[in-house]
Amino acid sequence: MTLKNTATRWGGVSQVLHWLVVLLILATGAMGLVMGDMRNSPTKIEIYALHKSLGLTILALATLRFAWRLHAGAPVPPPGTPRWQDRIASLTHWLLYGLLFAMPLSGWMFNSAAGYPLQWFKLVNLPALTARDAELRLLAGSVHAWLFWLLVAVALLHAAAALYHHVFLRDDTLARMLPRGWLRAGASSTPPQD
Amino acid sequence: MRMRLLLVAGLSAALSLPAFAADYAQAPGSSLAFAGKYQGETFSGTFPGFRTTVSFDPANPAAGKLSVTIPVATATTQNDDYDTEMRGAAFFDAAKFAQATYTASGFRDLGNGQYAADGTLELRGVRKPVTLTFTWTPGTRPLLSGRATVRRLDFGVGGGEWADTGTIPNEIAVSTRVYLQPAN
Repeated sequence: MTLKNTATRWGGVSQVLHWLVVLLILATGAMGLVMGDMRNSPTKIEIYALHKSLGLTILALATLRFAWRLHAGAPVPPPGTPRWQDRIASLTHWLLYGLLFAMPLSGWMFNSAAGYPLQWFKLVNLPALTARDAELRLLAGSVHAWLFWLLVAVALLHAAAALYHHVFLRDDTLARMLPRGWLRAGASSTPPQD
Repeated sequence: MRMRLLLVAGLSAALSLPAFAADYAQAPGSSLAFAGKYQGETFSGTFPGFRTTVSFDPANPAAGKLSVTIPVATATTQNDDYDTEMRGAAFFDAAKFAQATYTASGFRDLGNGQYAADGTLELRGVRKPVTLTFTWTPGTRPLLSGRATVRRLDFGVGGGEWADTGTIPNEIAVSTRVYLQPAN
């Protein structure tokens, strides 16, 4: 598979980054949903630490993805895509990029305002973004939670659209984000040209 | 007869002088703090409301006495989440053991203005030896500045599931600066 994006396919770098971030979001989000209500214990501390490590990883990968997207561009929309759909798809993509930054940063802000340490996989400690502040802690905490639900909504829309393209429109919108041959695009799709 | 009486009085006064180690009580501005490493960062806290009495004469440290009472229900790290856990049953169990005490009698002179007190810490109902090393700065308000290492697990502070020292270290550094004034 080619590393760079072409007019018709996402390249290897974009694919790996995309699906890696998907997995990390699922894991980090699942932990985030359960850990708050856990009884205080070393296990809870470990889960928080892992949630933070994965969140920081997402932040780093988001930076890479963003740089790569600007550098490598994106495939053109499948032929026949209405303009409004393309617009919404673009908007969704940029919103998702924004959330990939905003989610970890709001969590980092919350962690800093609460005065907790921040460690990446027990290897490196990262500085606080702000001094301890009870009000800011509350604010950052609810921003983090609301952004999460926004992320869930936008990601569901994004995934539903990809499935809609694959199942109903039978084009290669979803297939081109996967290694060649993993998914057969529908009969109506144009054969790969590269 | 008179001479003899005077002589006896004078002698006994002279002999008893070294035993007059000055008694001191804690003055304002004193602090008792603890610190350890947690997730790669140093956490620290204080014990507000601790009370110290000292009897000390640098010329005769062996006669020295130290007594400290430490309320644990008000111990604070300035983080509410930590404090609730720390004062709770798994750590200090302040509801059951409201205060810790540290007592020592007879200090060792380590030279260079340093002394050591081989005292006993009673914490969470457990009595174990803990050595406090300190310097003494004489004056009208003498300063006792000391350090000790307390192994929390010796006292059952954070036992059970919290015993893992990878999360919270066993050795907690305690430091104190006690300003003193003559006891009444």
